[in-house]
Amino acid sequence: MTYAVVRSHALIADLLTSNQMRSIAAADSLEEFMTQLSQTPYGQISLEPDINPSISLERVFYRKFIERIVKIVDIVPSKIGDLLQTYYYMRFETLNLDRIIRGKFSEATPAEIQANLVPMMPFRAPSYPSLSEAADIDSLLELLKGTVYNAVAEKLPAYKQYDAIWPLQLELQHLYSITILNTVEKLPRDQRRMISKIVELEADIENFLMAVKQSRSQKDAEVKPEEMFDATYGIPKETLHLVVDGADLRESVESLGEPYSAILAPIYEGDVALIRTNLRSQIYQTVNQARAGNDFGFNPIMAYLVFSELEKDDLVGVAWAKEQGLQGEEFLKYLVVPNVT
Amino acid sequence: MSSTSGVQPTKGYLMEMQRRIVFIERGTEFLKLKRDHLAKELSESIEVLRGRRRLLLESLGEAYKAVQAAYLSLGPTEVESQADSIRSTLDIDLLPKSIMGVQYPYIKILRRPKVEGELDITLSYASDKVFSILEEIIRLAEFESRVERIADELGRTNRKVNALENTVIPDMKAIIKFIQDKLDEEQMEDLVRIKLIGGALASEK
Repeated sequence: MTYAVVRSHALIADLLTSNQMRSIAAADSLEEFMTQLSQTPYGQISLEPDINPSISLERVFYRKFIERIVKIVDIVPSKIGDLLQTYYYMRFETLNLDRIIRGKFSEATPAEIQANLVPMMPFRAPSYPSLSEAADIDSLLELLKGTVYNAVAEKLPAYKQYDAIWPLQLELQHLYSITILNTVEKLPRDQRRMISKIVELEADIENFLMAVKQSRSQKDAEVKPEEMFDATYGIPKETLHLVVDGADLRESVESLGEPYSAILAPIYEGDVALIRTNLRSQIYQTVNQARAGNDFGFNPIMAYLVFSELEKDDLVGVAWAKEQGLQGEEFLKYLVVPNVT
Repeated sequence: MSSTSGVQPTKGYLMEMQRRIVFIERGTEFLKLKRDHLAKELSESIEVLRGRRRLLLESLGEAYKAVQAAYLSLGPTEVESQADSIRSTLDIDLLPKSIMGVQYPYIKILRRPKVEGELDITLSYASDKVFSILEEIIRLAEFESRVERIADELGRTNRKVNALENTVIPDMKAIIKFIQDKLDEEQMEDLVRIKLIGGALASEK
């Protein structure tokens, strides 16, 4: 464990600093972005042919991040290793399952679905090609029966009732949160706190955004709010139900208090994307505060992976922005690393 | 080459030319009316076009910002994956419409794009903004095409009026004058000839 902690400290020092990220974000073109990146631990990056450069770069950053996870998992005790694998691999797998479900719902071809998946091996799900080749959502859910994702398969009646995939998406998120929180239980109390806080905060914000989205949609089948949110933490179910029913957003957000009211504030201007940036910034702060309390146990290990993920997300955004020819200040507010002090 | 070369100075031809010039002058008046009407229509349309373009550019800017925010927040792969769920695309039909004989395309929307999968809220905001201006983009394209066609027709009508006023009508007038002169000359010659013959006959008696 000591070696893992020391190694994590060293690896954190290798991550891109706020100034480096700012300088990369200020690159004039995608070529300059890649040149600047080649002078960092990312080194020379080669793009896949026949694929949009920003998507190719996103895959590179995902692979790099997964390599970092593997490096850490290899040197930490098995309990922590299990948690980290579950935390990250299941998050990516949830994302992949979400994309497969969406693809099946909109009748995308298996090739189209697979082109949009995170480049990883299946973690707890059956193979992705077999899932994406399922004839329809019913067959797809059939394949998930008996796996960790059985609860998603059991949401088939709700999917049919509303003719919408949100019950499946919500169950995936719920399942992810529950699995992480259960895995965290195996760790000592002091190591649990930070990761529980992050998972709960993420679930709460996603629940709130889902409630806002439902309040805006005009579906024929009336959605019963009490059927929507299986797990809530800092945001009460009653508030979410009120939001679904079209309650005043400002009033609802202000009633939540910090950190929720600060994270959700951009909703007043309709800038939902900034909410996710605020959420990521809050996660950064949570991890930093935890490190300030104890920088010699599980915290620096988790901090390294959290910072790496934030770096990955920012680089994905910058790569796309450079491909589009956007200049620094236009998109900087949606990044986390350049804005941390 | 003179406009009068090869002209037959006959009375029949003169009458034909006089009939034609009346017809052409009336046509020129009609063309001038059309030109003035097109010019008025064009200047009014340009004002409307400017206003509508400015509004559309503002809406487009907002829509693009929303799309940009969605890409930065979700990443290109997630956006592409969600965008793939829009299966029914925009379906349009082009029909002809006409104003003062100027034909321009009218775009009939047969089917609007529909999001059949579930979009993330970020993308849902962006798609709402894009879909809300989609019809306006189409109507503006239609209006721009109408203005372009009116401008083309105005140019063409103007050239026709100029050609008629400065070339065709003066040439025809010259021809008429030429024929009239020729006929007057011939009439004088005939008169002189008759007088001479009359004089000769009188002196013989």
